[in-house]
Amino acid sequence: MKIRDSKSTIIFKIVIYTLLTLGALICVFPFIVIISGSFTDNHTILTEGYGILPKNFTVAAYQTIFKAPQDILQAYMMTFYYTIQGTSVGLIMITMTAYVISRPEFKYRNNISFMIYFTSIFGGGIIPWYLMYSKVLGLKETTGGSMIAIWFPALMSPFLIILMRTFIKASVPDAISESAKIDGAGHMTIFFKIVLPVLGPGIATVGLFLALGYWNDWFRSSMFSTSSKTWELQFYLYDLLNATQALKQMAQNTSISTADLPTQSVKLAMAVVATGPVLLFYPFVQRYFVSGITIGAVKG
Amino acid sequence: MKRKANRQLSSLQGMLEKQYFGKKLAILISMMISIITVLLYLPVFRWISVVNTESLYETLKVKEKAIALLETNYSLFNILSFVQHTRAGSIGLYSMILLFLIIAALYFNLVFLLRIIKKKNIKGNLSIYSAAHPAMIFSVILCIATIIYIDFANSKFGMTGFVLSPAVYLILIISIIAFIFIKLVESKERLLYREHGFLYELKKNWILFLMLVPTFLYLIINNYLPMVGVYYAFTSFNFKDGLWASPFVGFKNFEHLLKADLFKLTKNTILYNLAFIGIGNILQIAFAIFVSRVGIKWFKRTSQTLMFMPYFVSFVILKVLVYNLFEYQSGMINTAMVSLGLDRIDFYNEPSYWPYLITVFYLWKNIGYGIVVYLATIMGISDEYYDAAKVDGASILQQIRYITLPLIKPTFIILFLYALGSIMKGQFELFYQLVGTNGVLYNATDIFDTFVYRITTTQPLSIGMGTAAGLYQAVFGFIVILVTNFFVKRKNPDYALF
Repeated sequence: MKIRDSKSTIIFKIVIYTLLTLGALICVFPFIVIISGSFTDNHTILTEGYGILPKNFTVAAYQTIFKAPQDILQAYMMTFYYTIQGTSVGLIMITMTAYVISRPEFKYRNNISFMIYFTSIFGGGIIPWYLMYSKVLGLKETTGGSMIAIWFPALMSPFLIILMRTFIKASVPDAISESAKIDGAGHMTIFFKIVLPVLGPGIATVGLFLALGYWNDWFRSSMFSTSSKTWELQFYLYDLLNATQALKQMAQNTSISTADLPTQSVKLAMAVVATGPVLLFYPFVQRYFVSGITIGAVKG
Repeated sequence: MKRKANRQLSSLQGMLEKQYFGKKLAILISMMISIITVLLYLPVFRWISVVNTESLYETLKVKEKAIALLETNYSLFNILSFVQHTRAGSIGLYSMILLFLIIAALYFNLVFLLRIIKKKNIKGNLSIYSAAHPAMIFSVILCIATIIYIDFANSKFGMTGFVLSPAVYLILIISIIAFIFIKLVESKERLLYREHGFLYELKKNWILFLMLVPTFLYLIINNYLPMVGVYYAFTSFNFKDGLWASPFVGFKNFEHLLKADLFKLTKNTILYNLAFIGIGNILQIAFAIFVSRVGIKWFKRTSQTLMFMPYFVSFVILKVLVYNLFEYQSGMINTAMVSLGLDRIDFYNEPSYWPYLITVFYLWKNIGYGIVVYLATIMGISDEYYDAAKVDGASILQQIRYITLPLIKPTFIILFLYALGSIMKGQFELFYQLVGTNGVLYNATDIFDTFVYRITTTQPLSIGMGTAAGLYQAVFGFIVILVTNFFVKRKNPDYALF
């Protein structure tokens, strides 16, 4: 009895360790290929394909990128601007809203919650949304306008508001704010002196979700940018990929020299540069995402 | 002080009981008014009559054929047909808003009447009053909007074409009267039950309201106002008339869509999502259980961290990746095929591979997220269950089968219902970055979101059809949610979405 059990346990252990190793490898493998490809020289990629380790190690691709760095620096700066602006404004709005709908004495909290939730189950569709920003508000006519149209739409989401509310409920029990109120504290005092100081993890988690969304966005640039000056980094990368693809096809048909096109390794290097900060910070911030998702999942 | 208030209250209570007749009268009057209003809302009463028909048709350049279809009297329900036949697009949006308003007003009046019949006996008549407010307010808004509409339309025509029936003024006046009546009796009854109205709340908690203002503005701009824009689904856009005056064409866009792509888009969107939900959840649950069963701490943490990583990269990076794997000339798979002595596969010209590829990369990107969700639930299971099972000699597989799986069922059901609710929402970024503008693959990979995006960015003339596709998607999804929620609520209210 005992022996049979431990035998099946051992087999089970072997199976799960193998599967988990495999799963982890499959998830990481593409990153390794991209990174090693960006350090391989272009000719090797074309003739021998990719490898786990760079054959013929070279930093030529990165040198090419940073030889004329204005464009990518501009995109980097714009992305930092959008991320910082959107995350800070969004955090302020989300925290305030979550605080209001977490107050048990606020009569209309359920109405407000439903109004927020309703946006996730029905919408007018993307075309009216686009026309709202571009034609009704006229944001596409100026550079400043299209910058607003890029950061404004992603300021909040129902999920993040509910998440923040859960954090507030968990970190400030109703009894505490209730007793503060009896002592004469107004909503401002409760919000700034009692709720905000203990909301650190909640703010970090929601802020990171927002920041990740801003960093990885390319869609709003494709919708609202009128000049490459306002492009987000991801859209810059996207445009580069598309332009090379299109040019390559043209070159095949018309015999234009392909020498000036960004090479395969340059594209990969660009991808590394564009993802860099995310992968750099990932080990440190991962736990915030885990705690955020965990809390959100428990709450449903 | 308190005693005084108490005395006041008890005298008030007596007063209210005495005034019961007055209360009944107020409700009776507002009920009568509501019934009259509802009757006047019915399409048999034509609120708008068309005058100076000949010169009006001339200024609007109505075709002979269309004149035969026109009537001289219109209700708000069929005024859009006038807009359609005369191709007077400039008043179309306003006409549609009026249509929505009259439906809303009708609905709230009926709710009010039903509430009187089926009275809830909590807190006296307060539930009746709270149902009366929207009914009366919407009636007033509708009447004022209609009065303005007549002026608006006439100024757009450049002449007097529409004349308003006096019934509208009647409704306006009696609705205001009913509203005042209700307010009067309500304010007294509120004191009795210590309930407070909106203004009191606003005064007491103005800071809370102030804190909501930015969010309100955001939601209105980003979500609620664009809902009005579904009007474009019923127009045929052209550059001459512009956005505000393009002719209203009824359901023509939907007919075009039905003939062209609707079935394919619906099928693709739903099937992909079903595959994502089904395979995704199975894999996520399996791997979450695996991770939870790992004893070595560093292995547990590392494997989880690594599998969560793809969630953090952008879809553009995914595009780089997929392109470099599957490209014909130097793609990794094809170079491997060649070195093995096999033929190259032209992935980007062969639609049949893409459903699998898209599903695989969806799973790749989302498995880490799902593992975290399920792991949270598994970690919440008390060790006692497992210990007891071990004492009874249950193997690991039996423990999983009889303890873990039943206990993560609630999480699975909630996630499943959420996913079912968004079954019509496509993973736009995933599809667009993987397939892009490669028309060869559309048959197998086009979903609503990519279709609409393509129209928005490249075919401004078809925005009518694009909006129609978006509206169909939204309404279909909404109905799915309502139906799911209805049945879930009946079966087990704990799982209800709202």
